[in-house]
Amino acid sequence: MDLRFTETQEILKKMARDFLTTECPKTLVRKLEQSDEGYSPELWKKMAELGWMGLIIPEEYGGMGYTFQDLVILLEEIGRNILPGPLVATVTSTLLILEAGTEEQKKELLPKIARGEVILTTALLEAEGVFDAAGISVKATPKGDNFVIDGTKLFVEMAHVANHIICVTRTKDSTAPEKGITLFIVDPKATGISHEVIPTIAADKLCEVHFRDVTVRKSNMLGKLDEGWPIVEMMLRKGAIAKCAESLGAIETCVEMTVAYSKERVQYERPIGAFQALQHKMADMWTAMETSRYLVYEVAWMESQGLPCAKEASMAKSYVNEVYKDVAKWAVRLHGAIATSADHDIPFYYRRSKAADIAFGNTDFHREIVAQKIGLA
Amino acid sequence: MDLALTDEQKARKQEFYDTCKELEKKKPPNFLGFETIYEDDECWEYNLSCAKEFAKKGWLALGWPPEYGGKGDMMDRVLFAEARGYHSVPGVDIFGVQMLAPTLLQAASEGVKKEFLPPIAQGEVMWCELWSEPNAGSDLASLSTTAMRKGDEYVINGQKTWNTGALKADWGFGVFKTDPAGRKHHNMTFILLDMKTPGVTIRPIPYLDGHAPYCEVYFDDVRVPAKNIVGQEHEGWAVVNLLAGFERSGINEIMTMIRGLEDLVQFCNQTKRHGQPLAKDPLTRNRLAELACQLEAARALAYRVADLQNRNEMSLMDASAGKIFFSELGERFAFVATDILGPYGQVKTSRWAPMNGVWERMFHEHFITTVSMGTNEIQRNIIAWYGLGLPRIR
Repeated sequence: MDLRFTETQEILKKMARDFLTTECPKTLVRKLEQSDEGYSPELWKKMAELGWMGLIIPEEYGGMGYTFQDLVILLEEIGRNILPGPLVATVTSTLLILEAGTEEQKKELLPKIARGEVILTTALLEAEGVFDAAGISVKATPKGDNFVIDGTKLFVEMAHVANHIICVTRTKDSTAPEKGITLFIVDPKATGISHEVIPTIAADKLCEVHFRDVTVRKSNMLGKLDEGWPIVEMMLRKGAIAKCAESLGAIETCVEMTVAYSKERVQYERPIGAFQALQHKMADMWTAMETSRYLVYEVAWMESQGLPCAKEASMAKSYVNEVYKDVAKWAVRLHGAIATSADHDIPFYYRRSKAADIAFGNTDFHREIVAQKIGLA
Repeated sequence: MDLALTDEQKARKQEFYDTCKELEKKKPPNFLGFETIYEDDECWEYNLSCAKEFAKKGWLALGWPPEYGGKGDMMDRVLFAEARGYHSVPGVDIFGVQMLAPTLLQAASEGVKKEFLPPIAQGEVMWCELWSEPNAGSDLASLSTTAMRKGDEYVINGQKTWNTGALKADWGFGVFKTDPAGRKHHNMTFILLDMKTPGVTIRPIPYLDGHAPYCEVYFDDVRVPAKNIVGQEHEGWAVVNLLAGFERSGINEIMTMIRGLEDLVQFCNQTKRHGQPLAKDPLTRNRLAELACQLEAARALAYRVADLQNRNEMSLMDASAGKIFFSELGERFAFVATDILGPYGQVKTSRWAPMNGVWERMFHEHFITTVSMGTNEIQRNIIAWYGLGLPRIR
C-alpha cells in the first residue's frame, strides 16, 4: 500500500495546474458562462495538444493510454479551476465507445476524439428525470437497415455543440426495464433533430434534444440490440467517479479561498480567521475535504484495477455530493456578503455544487444503490 | 498510488481475522466492547486471555525493532487493528501496547526500554494513563500535581482524574510537575509508576450510565524511583505530544462500526414492521446507506493516516481530521441505530435488547471518543492553527 502519486501523476497534476492557471482565468469562465457556446474552441484545441481528450484512449487509437486513475487526477485539477466545456461529456461518452464500440467505430471515432476534432455527449435523461432504465422511453424502431428514433431527451450536456450524440433508446418494452435498451451514435445535424439550451444554475449548457423520426443506420448502433443498459451503468459509475474528482478539486478551491480571505479580512481590529467560530468551521471544511479526497482516490484506484466497485462508486458520489454543497455553502457564509455578489468567484463553485450533485445521479439515487449493495433486502 | 496488499500481507491479514474470529466466540455475555473490560471481572479475564493469545503470536510487538522482541511492520499493526475492531476483540492494551510502547521506543533510555517493553509484549503488565486533573483538562499543561525530586526518588502529591481502567491497571504513566517555578511546557516530567505503590488511592467515577470504567487517582507522598522517567527531566511535555501522535488512525473503531452496520442490516432484514421487512422502509434504507458512505470515507482517511505513519510522515492535521470524523460518525451512528430500533433502542443488555443492547450502550459510549484524547474542539484548533495557519489569540 502506498497512497502517494506516481511521478507521472505528479507531472500530469503540475502540468494541468500550470496550464489552467494561465489559460483559464475566472474572467474566461465568466465569459464562457455568458456565451452561447459555453466553451472556448481555442482552449479546446490546446487541451487536445496536451492529450487530455485522449488521456484514457489506448495509444493504438491515437490516445495517451493513461489509466482511469490518471484521469481522476486531471479532473481534480479541472474542477479546481471549474473549466467550462464539453470535456467530461466527451470523456464519459468515449467510455461507451471504448467499452462497446466495434473495431470500425473505434478506428473512426477515437483518433478524432483524441485530436480534439469531435465533441461527444450522451443523451440519457428524459422527462421523468431519473437515472434508471425505467426512465427511458424514447423509442428506436427498426425500419429496413435503419432505426427511427422518436422522442425527447433532456439535460444533454453540450448537445448544442456536439458532433455526435450517443442516444440511449428503448427498442423493446419489457417487464424488466433494463432489458430492451439500445444505444445509437447520432449525428446532431441529421434531419429531425432540434435542440435548445435549458437555463440552469451552473449555466453549463444542458440541452433538450428533440428527435422527430430521426433515421439512424444500423451500423451506428453502439453495442448490442436491447442489451445497452449494462454499458450505461458502467458509464454512470465511471462518470460518477469522474464527477467526484471534479468536485474534489472545487472543494479544495473553496477551502483555500476561504482560509486565505479569513486571514486578510479585518473586523474588530483582527483578521476574522482569528475567531474560533470561523476557525472551527474551516477545520470542518478541511476535514470534509480530506475524507472526500481519500474516498475518491480509493474508488479511482479500484476502477483502474478493474475491481468491482459499484458500491464504493455510489458511496463516493453520494458522499462527495453532500460535502461539495456544504463546503461551498460555508465558503459563501464565511466570506459574508461579498461572496453573494455575481462578481465574486465563490458563487461559481456554489452554483456548480448543485449541478455536480445531479450529474450522474444525485445523493438519494446513489444511496439506494448503496442500500442494495450493503445487503438491505 | 497503490492500495493493494502484498500476498504476505493478505496472508497475515487472514491470520489476524481468523484468530480474532475464534476469540470473539469466547466473549462473556456482558462484553460489549473495549470499555466493558474495566467494568466487569469476567470481561477483564477475557481481556487478559486475549492478550496472552496475542502475546504468544508476537502480535503485541508488531512493528517494534527485533532487538525488543518486535515482529512484522507498521502495516501489520494496522491490519491487526482492523481485525480486532471488526470482531470487537480486546487484548491489546490501549495504554501499554498502543500508546506507551511506541513512545518508549522513541524517547526512553535503554534501561527503561529493557525493563518495561518485554512485559508489555508478553501481555503481562496492563497500564493506565495519568494525565488529566480536575483543573487541567484540555489545557493539560496547566496541571498542578507535583513530583519533587528527593535523592534518587520523585515524591508525588496531588490528584489525577478520568483515568480509564486505573483500578485494573498494574502500572501507570503520567505527567507531573517537577519544576513548579519553571516555564510552562518545560516544567513537567513523564513518569512511570507502579499503581500498587503506597500512597496511591484509586476511586471509581460512575459514568452517566452508572458503570465505572473511569477513576480518579490520589497521590499522597508517593515515592517513585528517579530512573522511571521517559525523556529528559522537566521535558515531559514533548513526550506527551509524541505519545498523542500514536495510533490515531481510528481503523479499529471504524471496523467496529462497519461490523455494527452489518449486524444492523441483518436485523432490518429479519425484523418485520408494517407487514414487511424493516429493510424495505425507504427512510431506513436512506439513513443506513448514508452511514455506510460516511464509514467508507472514514476508512479511506484512516488508511491515509496509517500510510503516513508507516512512512514516519505523520500529519497532525490528518490525524486530527480522522479523529473528529470517526468519533462524530460514532455519535450519528448511535443516534440513527437507536432511532431505527424504535422502543428497543433504549433497552440495556437483557432479553428485550436487540443485538445484546449494544446500541443503547453506544448512545452514551460515543463521548469516550469525542471527548477523550483531546476533545474534538481541541482537534479543530489543531487543524486551524497548525494546519491552516490561522491566527491564534492568546
